[in-house]
Amino acid sequence: MRSTMWIFILKRLVQGIFTVWFIATATFFAMHNVPGDPLLNDRATTDAIRANLEAKYGLDKPVMTQYGIYLGNLLQGDLGISFTQENREVNDIIRDHFPVSAILGILAVIFAAAGGVLWGALTAIYRNRWPDYVIMFLVILGISVPSFVVAAISQLFLVNVNGLFGTTVLPVAGWGTVLHMLVPAMVLGLGTMAYLTRLMRSSMLEIISSDFVRTAKAKGVPPARIFAKHQLRNAILPVITVLGPSIAAITTGGFVVELVFAIPGLGRYFVQAVQQLDYTVIMGTTVFYGAFLVFMVIVVDVLYGFIDPRVRMEY
Amino acid sequence: MNSVKADNGASLLEVEDLAVEFDTYGGIVQAVRGVSFSVEKGKTLAIVGESGCGKSVTVQSMMGLIPMPPGRITSGSAKLKGQEILGRTVVNGKEIRGSEIGMIFQDPMTSLNPTMTIGDQIAEPLQVHRGYSYKKAFNEAIRLLEMSKIPEAAKRARQYPFEFSGGMLQRAMIAMAIACKPSILIADEPTTALDVTIQAQILDLLQDLQRETGMAVILITHDLGVVARMADEVAVMYAGKIVEHGMVDDVFYRSAHPYTLGLKEAMPTNDPSLQHELKPIEGSPPDLFSPPRGCGYCARCPYAMQICNQRQPDDTFLTESHFSRCWLHHVSSPNKPDQLYFKEEA
Repeated sequence: MRSTMWIFILKRLVQGIFTVWFIATATFFAMHNVPGDPLLNDRATTDAIRANLEAKYGLDKPVMTQYGIYLGNLLQGDLGISFTQENREVNDIIRDHFPVSAILGILAVIFAAAGGVLWGALTAIYRNRWPDYVIMFLVILGISVPSFVVAAISQLFLVNVNGLFGTTVLPVAGWGTVLHMLVPAMVLGLGTMAYLTRLMRSSMLEIISSDFVRTAKAKGVPPARIFAKHQLRNAILPVITVLGPSIAAITTGGFVVELVFAIPGLGRYFVQAVQQLDYTVIMGTTVFYGAFLVFMVIVVDVLYGFIDPRVRMEY
Repeated sequence: MNSVKADNGASLLEVEDLAVEFDTYGGIVQAVRGVSFSVEKGKTLAIVGESGCGKSVTVQSMMGLIPMPPGRITSGSAKLKGQEILGRTVVNGKEIRGSEIGMIFQDPMTSLNPTMTIGDQIAEPLQVHRGYSYKKAFNEAIRLLEMSKIPEAAKRARQYPFEFSGGMLQRAMIAMAIACKPSILIADEPTTALDVTIQAQILDLLQDLQRETGMAVILITHDLGVVARMADEVAVMYAGKIVEHGMVDDVFYRSAHPYTLGLKEAMPTNDPSLQHELKPIEGSPPDLFSPPRGCGYCARCPYAMQICNQRQPDDTFLTESHFSRCWLHHVSSPNKPDQLYFKEEA
């Protein structure tokens, strides 16, 4: 690896910190402008308790001071304490539930990327013949059917399969083993896979008729080697470009699947927090997700450089 | 390298009555309509003609580079050292493409894989055809780059196409095409995309390599200047047929087909004694969806006669190696224009 590459990574990390700061600031002020009050529920009854709570969370101070405290805590990695759950730090919530979401998300991304590249290449090679038509029909389905429908249908399917074998082949819901992860990951990655398939197909079609593939044929390179060495690596570049945003789409879209399959992921807490106006949890998870996505995009950019030498030069 | 000798007087490559057509939405395009030529060992054959006359399709069909469908070879044969190669990829246990016949293309900027180093791409045919190890093939690639006169070959071999200039890329392409010491190198408009000074260098390189390796060259071009400089033999193609064929001097100085004459008059010259205005050939080539019944050139030909529109002319041999496909050469032709060369009366 060239030293310029490290400079590139460093540059992107600094940019990323600014992005995360912006997300944190935007969330903070957005939360302040949301109507409602987290302390206005049955439990916070007396004025004294209310004042104590406000003092504890710093809510009695001017907004800019609160913002300062918030940023200061953020820098120390302290995301605060949940307003609605007893004695739970936001850090604990993330630590307990993010790994579940991350594993689910990573599996879904791998499934989507591998499937997208494979199906896309296949449709391009068999363009305008029946494998192309069949796969592209399924792709349209995958893009247009929402994930909660797919999730429900796949659960129904699992129930029937398990019933047919008289034993639990694959669990219908829950979390714990690899078997629990497979179907939810597929459901979660399906839309992205369909999107990547279309992208890969058009990119592959372009590569198939490109001059350098003709050159490879003129050199007498066998088709399998042309596919592996000349077509795939070049056709995959646009797919990698959108992989960063795809990771974003998958991880933030995870809560629907987590809900349907009863998976204890972070997405559920994120949505719950918004419903309950749990300030610290909303801000904490938003900033955390933001930071995670910024990091993943940087990882994808570096990966891109490994595959395309032209990009590597621009580092 | 010559395991099979072409000793029975036959040529290295003999193409007979080759015809290729393509299915398109508009109908069937007859791109090549019966082309015959031969290539001798160590010699250069130039195939000349304007865009769309079928010259590239002719060689690509021999190399199996035409997508089928929509392309189709409808008739003809191409024999390399006496063995049929049309529709085949192997003769005498040797791969044709890249091993027996090397090929370089018009645009070197897009003809190389952007994500593979130059050295790897040159090494590839050696690994595929010769079974070289990667290391051995890569070292050979460096030697080939040196042969193609690329400075700092060892460093250059580790670079990618985008780090090369157009002329350098064409040198790399040539190195790649000759890696397995082919007996024929097909150069499909090798200098069209390059600027003039680089063109000259590439042509010099091709000539040097031809001398060193003894390979035959099929040069496809529309540049008569390139032809004059490189070719031993010339085939002039028009509307999917060869209209004149002969040694380079025959075709240039004893042009016997009105189309050849038209090409020459449209060619710029720097000889002050030959001051004349460039004269374009008026009109456009015939529609190959429905090729004309008679001579393809007759609509643009200044000497066209009635019969030209109705019947195909035959090849008329002016000397043993020089023929023209034109009715003007028929014994009963009333018109013998001064500008054209005719068979001397015995």
